[in-house]
Amino acid sequence: MHRYPRWPIHLVLVGVSFLMLIPFYWVLKTSVTGENIFAYPPSILPKSPHPFYYVDVWYYIPFARYFANSVAVSMIAVIANVVLNAMAGYALTRDFPAKAFVLLLFLSCMMVPFQATIIPAYLITGRLGLLDSYLGLALPQFSTIVCIFVFKASFDAVPRSLIDAARIDGLAEWRIVWKVMLPLAKGAIATNVILAFIWSWNNFLWPLIVTRSADMQTLPLGLARFLSYQEDTTGALYAFCIMVLAPGILLFLLAQKEFIRGLTSGATKG
Amino acid sequence: MAVASAVAYRPPRLARKRTRQAVLVWCFLAPSLAIFLLYRIIPLLWNVVLSFADWAPLRTIRWAGLDQYEEMLHDDVFWEALWNTLLFIASAPVGIVIALGLALLVSSEIRGRDVYRTIIFISYPLMTVAVAIIWRWLFDERVGLINYVARSLHLVDRPIQFLNSFVWALPSVIVANIWQMLGFYMIILLTGLQNIPPNLYEAAAIDGANARRRFWRITLPLLKPSLFLCIVIGMLNSFTSFDLVYVMTGGGPGRATELLVTYIYKLGFSQTRFDYAAAVTIVFFALLVAIAWMANRLSGGNAGAVETD
Repeated sequence: MHRYPRWPIHLVLVGVSFLMLIPFYWVLKTSVTGENIFAYPPSILPKSPHPFYYVDVWYYIPFARYFANSVAVSMIAVIANVVLNAMAGYALTRDFPAKAFVLLLFLSCMMVPFQATIIPAYLITGRLGLLDSYLGLALPQFSTIVCIFVFKASFDAVPRSLIDAARIDGLAEWRIVWKVMLPLAKGAIATNVILAFIWSWNNFLWPLIVTRSADMQTLPLGLARFLSYQEDTTGALYAFCIMVLAPGILLFLLAQKEFIRGLTSGATKG
Repeated sequence: MAVASAVAYRPPRLARKRTRQAVLVWCFLAPSLAIFLLYRIIPLLWNVVLSFADWAPLRTIRWAGLDQYEEMLHDDVFWEALWNTLLFIASAPVGIVIALGLALLVSSEIRGRDVYRTIIFISYPLMTVAVAIIWRWLFDERVGLINYVARSLHLVDRPIQFLNSFVWALPSVIVANIWQMLGFYMIILLTGLQNIPPNLYEAAAIDGANARRRFWRITLPLLKPSLFLCIVIGMLNSFTSFDLVYVMTGGGPGRATELLVTYIYKLGFSQTRFDYAAAVTIVFFALLVAIAWMANRLSGGNAGAVETD
């Protein structure tokens, strides 16, 4: 059964890997040479690479400011997201009246894409006086249904006897959550942190709507703006691209397992 | 007197514990519910109200009946955006079929399969704005890699202006989208494949079923939930690919790549026509629900849904 040759599989997979990676290579090459912006034919290998475009980025745009904004918004979103989801996930492990209704509500909210809410979401954020602020940028991401279910599954796996033992020892409910449940849900927390971070870090549409001042732009906005007034005429655009992508790739490689678990938790039924 | 009555009517211990627990549960749920109310439920209802109204910021709201919807009927841009959105959705199965092939390949016991998986998946979690810039650059008409390869292989005589061409712009954006989503589909399908009990294959092999029959009779039927999840998420993603279109083409040339999302954004935030944008959003959402419902019916039940209990 296992006697078929392996090399055709490798051949296909190497080919696909090549297709997946070549775009990165092309941009990386442009960012260190800039040569084929004007010249045809482009060279396959970079000729005389130099780091100057990476320096240019800091002069063309307030990169540090964009980066700090992105970090601030993501931090707020991640912390709030983990706390709120853990609380809601814990609540869903208990029996209470109207539980079925809450579950139904959550599941139907899942079907409402954020893009279908932008007009009122903008008006609501305006009423709250949060336009153009970190809080306003992060607020819609304070809770995510997928992660609530990740937490619920994780809490459900905690043995009932452990909770009862803690209760007999006289621990208050919130202390049971804090001392017993959360330490056992480290996997869920890691999954939630990485998902929330990536969602917030990559988010483009909402910052585009909510931010007004140049000071509040996040990295994706900065990137799009840079493109719109520089066009493709400088290698700095691609250097900027690489600088924005690098942290994401690094983080993903470090936390691939948690990330994939978060994405597949919906697929594997519970 | 008041104190005495409070003491007298104190509920039995068990009931009090119940109440306390219910209070706790609702306190834990409240913040999340508030967020969903604020950014999911209320916006949906608000959209409905706005879509029947005549309103702009700083103006008083006026009942407009079906005016907005009537305008939509005669709005060419809306129909084109709708058509483009449907084409975009129709492209999702292409990505899923490719991903299914890849998932089958990387689930076989070959050396370095984790490396392959990582490489194929890596484009998914990346910032879509940056991905769009990368693909803009690859599709560039003067020095883009794709034109360079096509010209070197003598497939074309003159460079194709991919993103400035009415014919090529939408397929180009779709290619970039599939490139980014491929790894995601693959991971979902891979998880599905790994959940198929291996002894089924062994039994089928003993019964003399060849590889093709095993695929059609075992793999595909058991993979149905994962495939359905891929289709739903792929569809949602196609519906909402704002970033990619906005950065790669801005909806152009003309309106060749205008999607409903980008049209809603433009109506709302460049033309400040919130009422009409809300009406388009309602149609957009209704379409989404209709297609999700159809996919659910076709898959025969609630396959792929998050198990609630």
